[in-house]
Amino acid sequence: MTYTISPLPHVKSRESVKSVMWGTVAALIPISLAAIYLFGFPAIKIILATVVAAVVAEIIIYKAASQPITIDDGNAVLVGLLLALLMPPSVSDHIWVPIIGAVFAIAVAKYIFGGTGTLVFHPALIGFAFLLAAWPTFMGAQSTPNLGGFSDLLLETGAGRLVESSPALVLLGGAIVLYKRYVDRRVALSATILLILLILITGKGWQLPYVLTGGFFLGLVFLAADPITSPVTKRGRLIYGILLAVLILIQLHFGAYFTGMCFAVLMMNVFSPLIDRSTIPKPIGGK
Amino acid sequence: MKIATIKTPDQVIIPLQQHAGAACNPLVRVGDTVSIGQLIGDGEFRIHSSVSGEVTALSEMPHPSGKDVLSVVIKTRNGEKKDINPEELHAGTIKSIIREFGIVEPNGLSTVSKKVDIDTIIINGTNTGDLSSNAALMLDHPSEIVYGLKALMESVGAKKAIIIIELNSEALHVMRTETIPDSNIKIVATPAYYPAGTENTLVTKFARKKVPRGSTPDDRGVLVSSIAAIKALYDAVHDGIPMIAKTVTVAGAVRSPGNVLVEIGTSVKHVIDECGGCSGTPVKIVINGAISGATQYSDEVPVIKTTSGILVQTESDINREPPAPCINCAWCVDECPIGLMPHLLYGYADSAQFDKCAELYISDCVECGMCAYVCPSKLPLVQIIRYGKHGVAEMEGGTMEAEA
Repeated sequence: MTYTISPLPHVKSRESVKSVMWGTVAALIPISLAAIYLFGFPAIKIILATVVAAVVAEIIIYKAASQPITIDDGNAVLVGLLLALLMPPSVSDHIWVPIIGAVFAIAVAKYIFGGTGTLVFHPALIGFAFLLAAWPTFMGAQSTPNLGGFSDLLLETGAGRLVESSPALVLLGGAIVLYKRYVDRRVALSATILLILLILITGKGWQLPYVLTGGFFLGLVFLAADPITSPVTKRGRLIYGILLAVLILIQLHFGAYFTGMCFAVLMMNVFSPLIDRSTIPKPIGGK
Repeated sequence: MKIATIKTPDQVIIPLQQHAGAACNPLVRVGDTVSIGQLIGDGEFRIHSSVSGEVTALSEMPHPSGKDVLSVVIKTRNGEKKDINPEELHAGTIKSIIREFGIVEPNGLSTVSKKVDIDTIIINGTNTGDLSSNAALMLDHPSEIVYGLKALMESVGAKKAIIIIELNSEALHVMRTETIPDSNIKIVATPAYYPAGTENTLVTKFARKKVPRGSTPDDRGVLVSSIAAIKALYDAVHDGIPMIAKTVTVAGAVRSPGNVLVEIGTSVKHVIDECGGCSGTPVKIVINGAISGATQYSDEVPVIKTTSGILVQTESDINREPPAPCINCAWCVDECPIGLMPHLLYGYADSAQFDKCAELYISDCVECGMCAYVCPSKLPLVQIIRYGKHGVAEMEGGTMEAEA
């Protein structure tokens, strides 16, 4: 009788990279459906275009570089879906624009930086920033959401982007991924709570309705607290969330709402390794 | 009765090393007749025969640590179930009692290691994962455990004792009832968490004393012991019986799992057979818990003083998923009881950057296995961190102490 010999542990949790990525995708499905309900065919067109473009780009690039293809881990689908949600529905008239964004996200932000796990910037945000710089006219939202009442929380009729169609559904997805720890709780909660407090303290309370929309919740929970690009140390994650809130507040001061939030997250991504390196904890027992 | 007794095996293999440190010297020769409780090995911790019979071999035999260890093989004399002769309890310090009766903590060390002033005793009564022998011992022998604890408290001069038990354990109520008259013994209920057995975290959490790095809890006047050692102490002090049996949890793919009282030296195979045998094809045999236990090459290895559980796994219990890249999810950082950065240690050790490993306090790792348990990328964190520890030890010119 021969027995298997292995290092400990001899049981492992059920969570895997696949369950983390696909679980996050699943948490974004309600808001995607709400976007389709509100915007109709253009929303379907954009979501399909970016997801398929991201997946195809990943297959082609990884095949060309003779690297193992890891489409089944769901990362490309997640990047494509997140990018689609950042788009205004009007871009569906020029569907090549989001397609280029998705390809750019995978090719530059993901592949060149070393693939899943070694990223510096969030690929979906890089794709968005690239499109914003290259074709600003197509990226402009037709309207800016303003949370006026309870019905706006469920279905925001003034939504300018797919993700802004329903703050409540983004929060629902956010609550799921926070509960399952698919995104980092410390970053998401510290940034969200501090941002709201800062807005109230600095007397910019009139801006709150513009901030409590789906776009900001998506940015703070799904983009900023993304495990790959946020810091790892316990203190570092809090610092990251706090700095992010301050940075967003500065952007708000100059009237940049949704795009300001996206660029604040991208800027914080730069500091993530530095924050990690300077907050290495001491083990139990101190010095 | 939570603890079942099993048939005495036909043969026992008693290793002369059942603790951390040097092996004992054998006191018997092949052909000798030994009786139960007779001293057969002398050294740091004495070793006694767990059966009556004849010594048939004195050779290197399989050992749960994975190495072969000089062992005394005793063929049990059939039909003779002689009562044990209580050993004379010599008046002496607790240290000499522990040595004479061969009482070993589950971590392979002595309960009392240094001569220091002890103020608090912490007894770890928690169970993790598949192990339940602590709860079973407390349910079956509550008064014996309190007796043993009082003896220990008196001999080291401790003013108070804390027994830590999980909130949902049946033993909580039993032990609370048992300790009503003793105001200096406190039962603390804790939510089940792992790893509860790290001494320094226990002391920090329950005795509220910070143990600085590089020192042990007894430097701060806290002594950490276990239910198994306290029960053995009772047997020694009250009945004069040395540590010749151990309560072991048999779990996993066996027909009737549970806690059994096993003579030291009984082979794992005999224990599993007495628990109804394996259900399904056994693929992995793990001693001492599913998370931090050690896999065995053979089911011929004996149960020793530090054994507290036997787990049998079938193919469906084993996760053979290949590792994926680290995604920086920080779950390992959140889980680490010591406050290390397991994923960084993994990365540096994997690329042989041992100086970086040392900077990140790799030697503080207690190998609880929690980082590799939660890792969604299924990285072999503990294996690589162990490699890193060896690398750091080599780099610093020292030699890594072999783990028992």
